[in-house]
Amino acid sequence: MRHDVTMPQLGMAQDAGKIVSWLKAPGDPVTKGDALFEVETDKATMEVEAQASGFLTGVSAAEGEDVKVGAVIARISDSADDEGPAPEAPATAVPVETSNALPEGKSVTMPQLGMAQDSGLLVSWQKSPGDAVKADDVLFEVETDKSTMEVEAGTDGYLAATLAEAGENVPVGQAVAIISAEKPDAPLARSAKSPPPSDHETPAVAEATKPERAKERPAPATPTPQPTHGRILASPKLRRLALEQGLDLSLLVEAGHPQPFHVRDLDVLKALPRKSAQPTAAAAAAMHHLVAKVTGDALPAFATWAGETHGLTDPDAILAALAGASLPNAANIAVDRFGTSQTYAMPDSRTLSGVTKTDAAPDLILRDLRGTTIRSADMGADTVPVLTITLRRKGLRITLDCAADQLDAQAAIQLLTDFAGRVEQPLRHLL
Amino acid sequence: MAKTKTNTEDYLRMYRQMMRIRTFEDTANQLYLSAKMPGLTHMYSGEEAVAVGICEALTDDDRITSTHRGHGHCVAKGANFKEMFCELLGKEEGYCRGKGGSMHIADQSHGNLGANAIVGGSMGIATGSALRAKLLGQDDVTVCFFGDGATAQGLLYEVMNMAALWNLPVIYACENNGYSEYTKTEEIAAGSITARAEAFGIEAFKVDGQDVLAVNELTQKLVARCRKGEGPFFIELETYRYHGHHVGDINREYYRSKDEEKDWKENRDPIIRFRGYLVSEGIATEDEIEAMNAEIEKDASEAVAYAEAAKYPDVSEVDMHVYAD
Amino acid sequence: MREITLSQAVNEAIAEEMRRDPTVFLLGEDVAEAGTPFKVLSGLVEEFGTERVIDTPIAEPGFMGIAVGAAMTGARPIVDLMFGDFIFLIMDQLCNQAAKIHYMSGGKLNVPLVLRTNMGATRRSAAQHSQSLQALVAHIPGLKVAMPSSAYEAKGLMKTAIRDNNPVVIFEDKLMYQDKAPVPEEEYLIPFGEAHIKREGSDITLIATSSMVQVAEKAAAILSKEGIEAEVIDPRTIVPLDEATLIQSVKKTSRAIVIDEGHQSYGITSEIASRLNEKAFYHLDTPVVRMGAMDVPIPFSPALEDITVPTPDRVIEMACKLCSGEMIHAA
Repeated sequence: MRHDVTMPQLGMAQDAGKIVSWLKAPGDPVTKGDALFEVETDKATMEVEAQASGFLTGVSAAEGEDVKVGAVIARISDSADDEGPAPEAPATAVPVETSNALPEGKSVTMPQLGMAQDSGLLVSWQKSPGDAVKADDVLFEVETDKSTMEVEAGTDGYLAATLAEAGENVPVGQAVAIISAEKPDAPLARSAKSPPPSDHETPAVAEATKPERAKERPAPATPTPQPTHGRILASPKLRRLALEQGLDLSLLVEAGHPQPFHVRDLDVLKALPRKSAQPTAAAAAAMHHLVAKVTGDALPAFATWAGETHGLTDPDAILAALAGASLPNAANIAVDRFGTSQTYAMPDSRTLSGVTKTDAAPDLILRDLRGTTIRSADMGADTVPVLTITLRRKGLRITLDCAADQLDAQAAIQLLTDFAGRVEQPLRHLL
Repeated sequence: MAKTKTNTEDYLRMYRQMMRIRTFEDTANQLYLSAKMPGLTHMYSGEEAVAVGICEALTDDDRITSTHRGHGHCVAKGANFKEMFCELLGKEEGYCRGKGGSMHIADQSHGNLGANAIVGGSMGIATGSALRAKLLGQDDVTVCFFGDGATAQGLLYEVMNMAALWNLPVIYACENNGYSEYTKTEEIAAGSITARAEAFGIEAFKVDGQDVLAVNELTQKLVARCRKGEGPFFIELETYRYHGHHVGDINREYYRSKDEEKDWKENRDPIIRFRGYLVSEGIATEDEIEAMNAEIEKDASEAVAYAEAAKYPDVSEVDMHVYAD
Repeated sequence: MREITLSQAVNEAIAEEMRRDPTVFLLGEDVAEAGTPFKVLSGLVEEFGTERVIDTPIAEPGFMGIAVGAAMTGARPIVDLMFGDFIFLIMDQLCNQAAKIHYMSGGKLNVPLVLRTNMGATRRSAAQHSQSLQALVAHIPGLKVAMPSSAYEAKGLMKTAIRDNNPVVIFEDKLMYQDKAPVPEEEYLIPFGEAHIKREGSDITLIATSSMVQVAEKAAAILSKEGIEAEVIDPRTIVPLDEATLIQSVKKTSRAIVIDEGHQSYGITSEIASRLNEKAFYHLDTPVVRMGAMDVPIPFSPALEDITVPTPDRVIEMACKLCSGEMIHAA
């Protein structure tokens, strides 16, 4: 499995970024989340993280290069010496064929000749820039995997530009010549790898973009298989029921009950004395701790919008509404911040404007730690499920802590997914 | 100069249809060469008189089944460039909403039951269409196009046997272009091709497939006889494909010489021949023909531009049309 | 209610649909005067004539291809394939043509045809006349697959198949042609994709097709005496499959055995077991067990043939193991 590393889109009106530096070298092992390279946009310099774990390979953009947003600049591969095709040289910020740079006319492209051929070797030019050509004149020779072919001009006129040099491999479909109707004033000859004419200081990047392949890398360690002895043999259904009821299957093992355990063994398990007053291993396992990450913080803008559009001035009521809308039924949601707490009732209608303050006991606590310096909180469950919002570098972290008997796994995943989705795009998820 | 007005119109339409096929194929070939067209395609150039001569003897109710080399049949049976190019490029507005591509174009509104990417795969379909006509008392005729290579498939003999037993209104049109993919026909077909049909008691004919009038005249007679219940019939049409087996079959001197290709193109081209005939008979002037050619060329380039800009089908269509309602 | 044989039920369904729709016709080897070797179609040629009940040469790919063409242009052919084993002869016409034409044409062309054929071993017919090849067909998108388990299903599914606008393959168990079952006099159709719960139970679900429904029902009756209540479900059509009913039952019982007469590997049983695993995993108390024909060509000798297919005894043995919590298939 290979993952492409692309130039990310960072600003709103940004279509390219400059690679300031690579923080990993080709062949280096990388872990998802590692900073891979630094990018400079119009606004700032920032680090870009790896989106997968593996080895950095196929780096095709050099430091100092301006790269179009979305262009593939490297890969993360399963091995350091991945032999897969290198990503295409990244599209540079300025399109190669600007209308003022190339003469007008019909372009002649590298033809597709074989069944499994994606480029052709330009063997020789039979015409020179500026020459008059007839449609059936041989323009250039191409070598494919099988043989050499002559390619005709296809149209009468003048050879106004050659866009590849003899000896170059040109992708199929890429223009290699331009035939103009009028005799060109300044016929052009260019390499297929030529940098675009531009004001940017990007000379000869193409040559610099082929990194040395890392050699002699140790093979990635294969994970050692987990020992299976000591594993409790129990059916999926029994495991689910035990989890939901906070029961510890190891008690059955200690009691010498024969494995595999099935649902029929549940009554035996329930009858066994619990180990101690402390939460058992099973009970601990019966806690759900889920973390979601959200890019950006859309809440302030949404609060402004809600205030202007609907006269809703209490941002906590809005937060409560977003949480309440993520629950299947009407509920009371307590919003905690700076030691204060206010509970809101989310009605059955689950409309934003229907949220009211209440003194009733909450069904869900929402801890908003955005205004604090706390960046991560893992405080365990309360008497009701707890959602905690903290800031992270580029957005928000939202955690859900609850006991298994408060929300089963499905419901917990559903709640956090819905809530995180609403926080990320409040307008779209608004009921 | 004794041509009636009706013939004049028929002849001009035959020329136009042949020219449309040639232009379509040249344009499609350019699309392939410039890597704008996904996949592969098989060019009909050189065989235009076969498709046009036959299809001009048919009505929209008459059916045809086509082959992997099917663009010519499709155009000859009345298809539009726009929907055809859209299909070749996998676009939503293609004849098959982009699901079929070059080798599966079907245009049911003109009776084209579809190209078929299995060599000989449509012989059963054509014969079944004819059985349906007989069973339901409908008087349409079905033409089954296939190549010399497909005569090696056993299915042909099973269905010709049944068509002959049941007097079905089907015409088996064998386009013998001399090559079964990359192999000379004489190396894959023992004995005579027409004798295969005759063995079942089917009347078989051999005709110059580069002579559109000869093809058309014979087909008209056979279609009329089919409608009277005298089918089936078999026609072997001697023709030639100018390109390789498919567009990627560039170096083919190991199986046929450039001189041979040149000879067919220069001396037996169905369009050049018929154009000369139209001019010498006073049916059209060179200027009129050039104007027609230019109009077809324009039609093709507009259709390609349209298709290139057209939408791909929405991804939600991927599991649509697996089953009919 | 009157009882008729499966053979009579098929015959009635076809006759009723041929009377109702003049575009419906039959073709195949010895379908007319002979009425097929199993005599399923006897009498139809007398009513509908040789124009609509057409004897073909022994040329399966040919008449299958002809049926495809007739279906594409407005008729509704019923193809009679004398033995299910001959499906291998018609694979191109069935799988490359019939199954794909609607899709390849972007929905413009339909292929409303019925391929009726059979399956089932223990008829001492050896390896080329005993196979149950439904999995091969069910694997190909574009084909529907019906598997009647009695005369009642045979009639209702056949009538639905004839009216369906897709190619439908019906596998009849060749050993059940003379089995009688109650079949209403009045017209009825059985919709595709609706499983039938043949017997309700709470301890284990037996999902069985065609010939294996009887096997499952016999096993369930004996298991009941042992205190195990088995639920028996007949999916009736494999494509489309009524997944919801199967999952619902397994959520109730937590255990399942899937029984089909096709070879066990890569078969119908594997497919259904996989779906239960994917969609009801947290409700399973035991592994879902497959029971199909052994992965051997069907042998001729009765001593060998009989052990290749699932039997009530084997189902009972497995069901007891599952319900007692015994370790199943542990390495």
